[in-house]
Amino acid sequence: MQRKEISVALAGNPNCGKSSLFNVLTGAHQKVGNFSGVTIEKHEGHLDYGAYRIRFVDLPGTYSLTPYSPEEIVTRNYLIDERPDLVVNVLEGPNLERNLLLTTQLMEMNIDFLAALNMIDEVEEKGISIDVKQLQRLLGCHIVPTSAKKKIGIDSLLAHIVRVYEKNIEIRKNKLSFRPEIEEAVDAIAGMLKREKEFEAADPRWLAIKLLESDREVYHRVQQYPVWVKVELALQEALREAAKLYDSDPEMLITEDRHAFIRGAMKECVRFPEERKSTVTDYIDMVVLNRVLGLPVFLFVVWAIFQITFTLGSPLMDILESLFGAISAAVEPLLVNPTVRSIVIDGIIAGVGGVLVFLPNILLLFIGLSFLEASGYMARAAFVIDKVMHRFGLHGKSFIPMITGFGCSIPAIMATRTLKSPTDRLATILIIPFMSCGAKLPVYVLLAGAFFPPDVAANVMFAVYLLGVVVALLSAKLLKSTVLKCDSEPFVMELPPYRWPTLHSVLFQARLKAMMYVKKAGTLILGAVVIIWAVSNYPHSDEIDRWAESESVRIEKSAGSAADKKAAIEALEYRTQSLQLQHSFAGRVGKVIEPVIKPIGFDWRIGIALVTGLAAKEVVVSTMGTIYALADTGESSGELAAILKNDPSFSRATALSLMVFVLLYIPCVAAIGVMKKEIGQWRPVLLYSVYVLALAWMLSFIIYRSALLIL
Amino acid sequence: MSELQVGDKAEVTAVKAEQAVRRRILDMGLIKGTCFKVLRVAPLGDPMEIFFKGMYLSLRKAEAEGISVHKTGRTGDGVPMSCDKEGITCCGGAK
Repeated sequence: MQRKEISVALAGNPNCGKSSLFNVLTGAHQKVGNFSGVTIEKHEGHLDYGAYRIRFVDLPGTYSLTPYSPEEIVTRNYLIDERPDLVVNVLEGPNLERNLLLTTQLMEMNIDFLAALNMIDEVEEKGISIDVKQLQRLLGCHIVPTSAKKKIGIDSLLAHIVRVYEKNIEIRKNKLSFRPEIEEAVDAIAGMLKREKEFEAADPRWLAIKLLESDREVYHRVQQYPVWVKVELALQEALREAAKLYDSDPEMLITEDRHAFIRGAMKECVRFPEERKSTVTDYIDMVVLNRVLGLPVFLFVVWAIFQITFTLGSPLMDILESLFGAISAAVEPLLVNPTVRSIVIDGIIAGVGGVLVFLPNILLLFIGLSFLEASGYMARAAFVIDKVMHRFGLHGKSFIPMITGFGCSIPAIMATRTLKSPTDRLATILIIPFMSCGAKLPVYVLLAGAFFPPDVAANVMFAVYLLGVVVALLSAKLLKSTVLKCDSEPFVMELPPYRWPTLHSVLFQARLKAMMYVKKAGTLILGAVVIIWAVSNYPHSDEIDRWAESESVRIEKSAGSAADKKAAIEALEYRTQSLQLQHSFAGRVGKVIEPVIKPIGFDWRIGIALVTGLAAKEVVVSTMGTIYALADTGESSGELAAILKNDPSFSRATALSLMVFVLLYIPCVAAIGVMKKEIGQWRPVLLYSVYVLALAWMLSFIIYRSALLIL
Repeated sequence: MSELQVGDKAEVTAVKAEQAVRRRILDMGLIKGTCFKVLRVAPLGDPMEIFFKGMYLSLRKAEAEGISVHKTGRTGDGVPMSCDKEGITCCGGAK
């Protein structure tokens, strides 16, 4: 059977239960993409209902349709350009008054819509009574009481969608009238636009209202045409009129009239109980936002999220790592050709493994974050910490992603999606790598452990972490007062009532983020890991191989016990590895950059480790193990520490300088990959890489030179 | 508005701020004639939280500075009050 398609867009305020309703309506038939050009998620889904296939798009939550936030622009453009058959305006029943602002703007757009009066169960619980019939007349649209949580009114909503679509039932559209002076101006301008065929697609009255509201997008659109000359005169006249009569401007008057309409509708249709009872939200906030307890509660929540993500996540990470180790071990004997073996094991399996090991962290973090977001605490967290963050030009919501950065930059960068303003978001993304991540810890442990007594070593490491935080905050301040100066998100934020999120929505969000990471960033990261593998393995010197061959023959023939020979062979193997690494591109790069890194105390060997460290920061340690011709003892390398200590070219000053450099220089390819995906373009990422290299070099230089003087 | 104390009730008399900020404040329904109550300030002294028309709204003092208000009363505590009395009818209805 060929089903008739109906396209429906869901529009509503943030926290109105729109997404829950969308989930109930579409169930499993969902797909998630992005709106073109922005990192705002676009959820689409469909449902077969009788002879119809209803396609739903869940638009981002907005309070209004002004062109200020990316969400508002996306929503508006979707409604104008994609022209869905009808719009379902989801209203948060208990908080109707504020929700109706968006409804008035839908009325002005002259599109077909109906309203879902959501959370009707809460409305009843609170003893609020709503005269739906009268409200329908005033808003000029059908209103269906629903509750996504209790699955009330879903069938009725679907039936209404079909009936409105088929024009089976109709409520006469109502026009929201403004005060006479504004109406006059609207009519005059709409009249001018009506005659122009360029504006046929949009409603002329809507365009006129938007022009009077100084809506910059509509301005740009109309400005291109000759009719603008007349329109501009009319706009100026309206401005003068508003100033003369009301000491105000048309934008303000229009807004006031909308609210006056809403207030009238509320008075007519909605009855609240006489006494307002304190709600659960009031009681929770008495504790959670308390002047004394607010900060401790906040810090506890952050700590808990961090613990869940990394303490719970790292055993899972270990399991995945050993799983990939087992796969390598299983595959190894099957591959005879050493080159193929190296590609598969050190390149591909290590690369895929390197991408997938972050999955448990990402899943756990986003389970935690979606819970905070959906329950309503996230806005409160921003409220509590905003003062500190604002001092550095950031938003209160930047805090949680930053702290997450101490575990791993990748989920942290992805967590910046809670930030609405693009500049706030970019600034936060760019400073996250300064928050010293878990993979840098082995480097500090090695160096601090080797060059400082145990009691000082801990302090040295703490100082490095602290330096990272200071650099992050100062960089934020620098970014926000220079290149990212424009439009910070104003901190005018609703603290939504606490609600218990559904398990389904929390898990769905977490799964979504995990999928996004694997699909989008994963491919990029995998490619980069393979490239780094290639530059540290190629070109391969046969000469070194031949030399190693002859050496091993010599050892075999020499006198000595079997154990001695085995040790000598092992030493030879590492020596060979070291020579091959020096011969490779990475090795050559290390040598080429030596003059540049000499002033900060590094020789070419450290240079190589810094290059391979781009794959992942803990690789700095293992590369140094190889290059200093040692057993590859991995992360807890006591032997390497001893070697470094005895190396005349390696001093305390070098160790400090290297720690600072590793803290600050270009993050691992995985983080760069996610950064690129989240920002959307390469340019900022490349500029950023230059910035951090310069910064790392300068600070290392200062640290190295002063350490040489003092120590 | 930024000078109000916790527990103060006030009515908005004008919203004057940079365009994007003003738009946001207006969209939240904080327009001339709206009555609200200051519920609390954040532990570090900024932002502040107010309650009106059944909604909890937080805003920085810097943003609050653009909102002129006229103090209408004081309850001394940070407990939200009935919408009917505080939000719609008390001042809005009188307009």
